[in-house]
Amino acid sequence: MRRNAKWLSAARIGLYAFLVISAAFFLLPLYVMLVTSLKGMPEIREGNMLSLPHAPTVAAWVKAWSSACTGLSCNGIQVGFLNSLKILFPSVTMSIAVGAVTGYALSLWRPRGAAWLFGILMAVAFVPYQVFLFPLVRMFSYVGLNSSLPGIIVVHTIFGLPTMTLIFRNYFAGIPLELIKAARVDGAGFWRIFGAIMLPMAVPIIVVAIILQVTGIWNDFIFGLVFAGRENFPMTVQLNNIVNSTQGEREYNVDMAATILTALVPLGVYFISGRWFVRGIAAGAVKG
Amino acid sequence: MAIGSRLAAQTALIPAMLIALVVYCGSTGWTIWISMTSSRMLPNNNFVGLRQYEILFANERWQVSVQNLALFGVLFITLALALGFFLAVLIDQRVRAEDLLRSVFLYPFSMSFIVTGLAWRWLLDPTLGIAKIAHDIGFEGVQFDWLVRQDRVIYTLLAAAIWHAAGLVMAIMLSGLRGIDQEIWKATRIDGIPAWRTYIFVVIPMLKGSFATATILMATSVVRLYDLSVAMTNGGPGIASEVPAKFVMDNLFERQNIGLATAAATSMLITVVAVVAPLLYAQNRAAARVAR
Amino acid sequence: MAQTAEVIHWWTSGGESAAVKVFADQFTKAGGTWVDTAIAGGPNARTAAINRTIGGNPPTAMQFNTGKQFDELVEGGLLADVDAVAAQQNWKAIVPPAILSAVTRNGHAYAVPINIHGQNWFFTSNAVMAKAGATEPKNWDELFVALDKIKAAGFIPLAFGDQKGWERNMFNTTLAGVAGAEGFTAFWGKRDPAFVKSAEFRKVAETYRRFKAYVDPGAPGRNWNDAAAMVIQGKAGMHIMGDWAKGEFTAAGQTPGKDYGCFVLSNHGGGYVMGGDVFAFPKPKNAEVAKAQALLATTMMAPDTQIAFARKKGSIPSRQDVDSKSLDLCAQKAMGFVADKSKQIPANELLSPPAVTGAAEDVISAYWNDATMTTDAFVAKLVTALTQTL
Repeated sequence: MRRNAKWLSAARIGLYAFLVISAAFFLLPLYVMLVTSLKGMPEIREGNMLSLPHAPTVAAWVKAWSSACTGLSCNGIQVGFLNSLKILFPSVTMSIAVGAVTGYALSLWRPRGAAWLFGILMAVAFVPYQVFLFPLVRMFSYVGLNSSLPGIIVVHTIFGLPTMTLIFRNYFAGIPLELIKAARVDGAGFWRIFGAIMLPMAVPIIVVAIILQVTGIWNDFIFGLVFAGRENFPMTVQLNNIVNSTQGEREYNVDMAATILTALVPLGVYFISGRWFVRGIAAGAVKG
Repeated sequence: MAIGSRLAAQTALIPAMLIALVVYCGSTGWTIWISMTSSRMLPNNNFVGLRQYEILFANERWQVSVQNLALFGVLFITLALALGFFLAVLIDQRVRAEDLLRSVFLYPFSMSFIVTGLAWRWLLDPTLGIAKIAHDIGFEGVQFDWLVRQDRVIYTLLAAAIWHAAGLVMAIMLSGLRGIDQEIWKATRIDGIPAWRTYIFVVIPMLKGSFATATILMATSVVRLYDLSVAMTNGGPGIASEVPAKFVMDNLFERQNIGLATAAATSMLITVVAVVAPLLYAQNRAAARVAR
Repeated sequence: MAQTAEVIHWWTSGGESAAVKVFADQFTKAGGTWVDTAIAGGPNARTAAINRTIGGNPPTAMQFNTGKQFDELVEGGLLADVDAVAAQQNWKAIVPPAILSAVTRNGHAYAVPINIHGQNWFFTSNAVMAKAGATEPKNWDELFVALDKIKAAGFIPLAFGDQKGWERNMFNTTLAGVAGAEGFTAFWGKRDPAFVKSAEFRKVAETYRRFKAYVDPGAPGRNWNDAAAMVIQGKAGMHIMGDWAKGEFTAAGQTPGKDYGCFVLSNHGGGYVMGGDVFAFPKPKNAEVAKAQALLATTMMAPDTQIAFARKKGSIPSRQDVDSKSLDLCAQKAMGFVADKSKQIPANELLSPPAVTGAAEDVISAYWNDATMTTDAFVAKLVTALTQTL
């Protein structure tokens, strides 16, 4: 062991060097967005995108949040923030709940039609879901779900189902059968095993599921646009209005500030859930 | 008792079954039907057989899209898996600031391409981006114009896509690595097996599940690849970075040509089923070990 | 009791918002309540509007480009006609026939043509032109002489935002300028294979590609407004764009005639490619909505609204009986074109449905970007694209 110390420390240096370089590569776009958002337009036109701002200003941030115009209303993207939260919580919960239960039932119980259901879900996971937009509009108008909060929540649940089922099924399939057999000997049924054994063990994969769903739902634009109704337009609709105005002057600093602001919630979830990762994994390690 | 549980399991599947039958199968049936009509903006029932498919397969942009997707898909999945796994292994070496590094690698996944695409476009722009900076600091010879070269542009999408997804792969792999029994490390160390060999011959096979999950997640995003192409190049220069999902979307909305759009979507669906079905069949047979 | 109108449109940029505010204010003044649903990006806004109309929850009014985008909504019986307003304001006498016929189906008017946009303007930097010793060209041969002079003087001759839609617009500008109105309608309207295969069209194709030599390497993917800024800042000599680009010049404090020039160039005289925007009205659910729609249509076409809107938007009014003295120099020129039928060409959107336009656009884009594609191949692929859509 001792003999290797020098070599080891060289390897350590190499390891850190690689990690730091990778981190720089990963941070570069965010850095560009951040410095751009802190510059004034004349400075941006100079075209030195990597340089630090001469005179940093948060004017673009204030404007993006509270006064950028999205059509006639000039209230920035704050308008959609609450709407996005209202859509996010129920949608994430619903889609993960349905996906977890379905994945659990498919992985360990083999009810009738399970193979078919799983096959269909697998196939759909690969289809660009915009294709379902048109028939879904028709179906929703038939049952009166169009342009409403429940409507958009149901849509997110529908389109989260394939991926959610998939990852939960794969995860549950890896759990030792002995555990379940023992529980069944003790008289536990379907729901009891799910609640008492499966869910507590599923924390790491729930975190992954949350990451996937929060990202997907928060960043969704087209479903929100079509199904949520104008009272519930999510933040991305306003973001799109600010950054994708096809004609007219573009304020890149406001664009960038608006994007970072819109990304704050998923970013926050990532940072918090990062710690949960560790805890979930620590809990998993006990079962060793 | 067992019957009760069976029933409960069956009941638990009702929502998923409903969604699968009504929404997925219903919509798919409708999509296939529309692809055999002459529909443009609104669906009509004017049956034209397989004419839309003939037009589709003869369409140069569709051909380019499919080729792009194949090339992109293979490279993306391979490289992102490799980089993600490698990062996970490095982070698993009890490094300092693990939390920070993990977040740094993961954050791109939280942002939509609608605008991170813009940042990437700036960075890769031959007159503004990295190329200009290289010139400014004296490297006059540096030419970096892949973003505007028809034969190279797809690799710039690849770079951005790996940047976006590698962190997620890393997270999944890390979670797998941490689940591995520490005894294995002790055992291999005692046997004098070098760490890299342990990773390749022992750890990677043990992480089969993690690799499968990551591969499936990335494969689904490959087939759906759309935002990235729109935000970075809008399919250009010319039609060099077009992808199938964008073909579907453009024809579905902007071009008001849902007959052709649904033909393209159906072709994608059939390809997916052709690939997924045998895999599923194999998996089903392997998964005979089920609680009864 | 106030009439409420929810209006879906895609005017979200600064100048556009200011323009739509004119409508909103006038509508409020007339006793209505304007509910604004702005969604950036024409396709996005149209997707939302069309889906809501089909889903039975339509807005009061929705924006389209003048032309064929709303054909099927009319055929599907989803739109209300505006014949009453058209008759009352006598559109037949005051709206240019090409624009009026673009909103008319089977003898009924189905949309309010609120403005006219010229799509094929050349904008020039007067400073750059002077430094290069170039003068405003009178025909397409002189155009390339001027571009050569600008290039020789060390400027970027042509500022270009190289994206698919603008490639098509540059192609259309060439088509209109070289082949005239007849060629333009033979191409987009009749989609006549004989014309596409003709020697005249080959000249169009080759002229279009000549522009490539005058564009800087940073053009691909650039936004058009960044390209316009190159002219404003005196880095580039010319820019081809619709009249909405004036907004960029105005925002930078420049005046037409003094700081920048604007002209339309055709070998056949006139050659003003004319499109615009309209508002269409989904079938109303009750009399209250119908009243709001009528009030909206009347307000949008009122003379003072028309002028005020056009000034903000950079377009020109669709009705010709208004006092256009307050409009800028370029708009004055445009009014001249619009008054004379021989000097105008109906825009791409008026002649071909989006499916055909899109298919042809892919080919036009490939030809521009792929130097190895021969003109023969271009012609063959165009014929397929123009004739094959079901």
